[in-house]
Formats: sequence, structure tokens, C-alpha cells
Amino acid sequence: MPSATSPSPGVLIPRVQARAYFFDGGQALLEEAVRLEYGIARDLSVSAELPLYQGSLDAPRPSDGKFGLGDMSLLVELRILREDLNAVDTVRVALFGGAELPTGTAGFAGDSVNPVAGAVVSTILGRNGFDAAARYTFVTGDGMTNPIFVSDTADDFASLDLGYAFRLYPDAYGEEREAAWYATLELNSTFTVGGEREVLLSPGLLIEAPRFAVELGLQIPVSSRLDGQPDLRLAAIAGLRLLF
Amino acid sequence: MNPRFTRAQLCAAAMTVATAILCGCASTPTTDANATPLSSPAALPDGHYTLVVNGMSCPKCISNVEMQLTRIGGVTHPLVDMENGFVTIDIVGGKTPSRESIAGAIADAGFTLVDVRGGVE
Repeated sequence: MPSATSPSPGVLIPRVQARAYFFDGGQALLEEAVRLEYGIARDLSVSAELPLYQGSLDAPRPSDGKFGLGDMSLLVELRILREDLNAVDTVRVALFGGAELPTGTAGFAGDSVNPVAGAVVSTILGRNGFDAAARYTFVTGDGMTNPIFVSDTADDFASLDLGYAFRLYPDAYGEEREAAWYATLELNSTFTVGGEREVLLSPGLLIEAPRFAVELGLQIPVSSRLDGQPDLRLAAIAGLRLLF
Repeated sequence: MNPRFTRAQLCAAAMTVATAILCGCASTPTTDANATPLSSPAALPDGHYTLVVNGMSCPKCISNVEMQLTRIGGVTHPLVDMENGFVTIDIVGGKTPSRESIAGAIADAGFTLVDVRGGVE
């Protein structure tokens, strides 16, 4: 999910994230997304994300390990509030907007430019972190003939995400440059104008050091109403984020 | 049969959540680096200083602060104490960076400079 922690001016944050989706009937999809985030001013950043897919789904969807690109996402994020309450505690709010571009190939994504707008708040209070994000995607095309995800149809959709992180280690920060370990829990939901929905519960672990972060997690469906997409059973996530 | 949402309903729901996010948290705008109360002189001579910084809440804050501070001529050896919100720095070479430039670097890193203490060579 997005956060309101933008990179500093001149700072580049590359992130690689792999997701393995396991659907009903032994179908599977591997997503490897590369995301570049760059700070262009104090409270302004841009990001680009391009997913690569490998599908082992039932025909006519991509099968037999077929590769293809997904839609590239280009976003601009403007932080509109930074309220630092004390040494550690902080509240940040950001607005973001941009578009999904029709870079998809081989039946992995749609073929339209879809504008995106949203807002996100991130709060850290001691060892507890909270994120909430709302995002609306205006789908301008006809969607995919054989959709894979709830967001692949011709309908506009809203994504609502809630996240909580608890710092497991260290109990308190000191002068040591040690990594922090967080237990994370997210609720990721998508609702389409056409009445489809998918709500996922996402427990995970985040290890964050001064120059890198590693994330591991699962996504478990808790509620869904789909129309033609394969039913997701479980998704596993592994990610690496660097700071330059 | 699936219940259908209109584009206006779904957009309104997303905007309601977004508005709640903004109204629930927005009390003041993004901190102006030049508005921080600083007890130090406008230009900082060579010496050892402790910067009091709010909002450093994760390990990557360390790298952000160090990167931004060391872009200022004369600032060396930044050392972050996150628990207390202190960043110690040395200023060398007679470059006398302004406290506004220090506050700006801290703000660029994403945090708020509250005070600058010290100045002992």
C-alpha cells in the first residue's frame, strides 16, 4: 500500500517486489514489479512501477509459464502535511495522482490509459505505525477479455487500504545503526463500480535498515465477489527496497 | 446478482475516506523550516553542535539526515540518536553555514529542526 513518506530531494529509492499468486485449480501467477521513486523537491516525489508477469493459468489466460508485462504506473505524490510531534512520533499526509499506462502484453493487462487519484496518511506513534490510503482509478478502456484480477474489468474501481505496523525490535532506538523489525498487518480492499470486490488480509514482516528494507508477507482473501476472475487462494510477497 | 455501485457512489466513498484522512490529521500545514525556533546564532562558526530534530521514526531516517546534512559545506560527521531526536554534527573549515540551511536540510530529509545547541570547538 502507498505511504506518505516521500524520498528526500535527489534521493532514489528502487524497489523490487515479487508476488506469487495461487488461484483455484492449481493456477498460479508470478509478478515481479520494479518500482523507482525519486524525490524532486522537499515534499514532491515521482514514482514509476512496471510489473512483469509469468502466468500458469487455465487457457485462454496466459498459461505454460508465459511471460508478459503489466501496465506501468506513473504517479506524482505531494506531501501536504508533516506534523512531527516529538523525537519519534509523526503524522504525514500526501495526495497522489497519475495514470496507469497501457504497457501490458500477452494478456496480462488492459490497453487503456487509466487516470488515478488518491490520498494517504501515515502516522507513527512510538512503536506503532498506522497507514490509511484511498485511491480511485478511472478505467477508460474496455478492460480485459479474460480478467485475472478484480481491477482488470472495464469498471472504475476504488482501492481502500489500512495498515498497522508494530516495531518488534529494538524496543527503543539508540545511537546504534541497527535494523528495525516490524510485524505488519494490512487490509487491502478493491471495489469496482460493477459491484465486484476483493478484500485481502495481509500479515507480514518488515526489516528496515538505514540503507535497505526487506519485506515478507502473505495475502489471504477474506471476502470476494468476482465475475470471471480466478478465485485467489493465497499470495506470497517478498520485496527489497534500497536507498541511494 | 451483484449489487452495482455507480461511479459517483464509489468515487464519493473514496473521497469521503480521503477527506476523513485529511480532516482527521491536518491541523497545520507542512512545517516551514524557517519557522523553527532556534536558539543558536544565524551563522554557525566551527564547532561541535547538537541538533534537536523531531519526527525521525525509522532507521532510514538516519541515511536521509546524513545525506542532506553533508550536502552543506562545512558540515561533517553527522551522528543520529533517534531515541532522543539528536543529531550531532561538526562544522569545520570556517564555512559558517546558516542555521536556515541546517533547518532546510533537515526539512529536506523530511523532519523538523527544533533547536541547535552547542558550538564548542
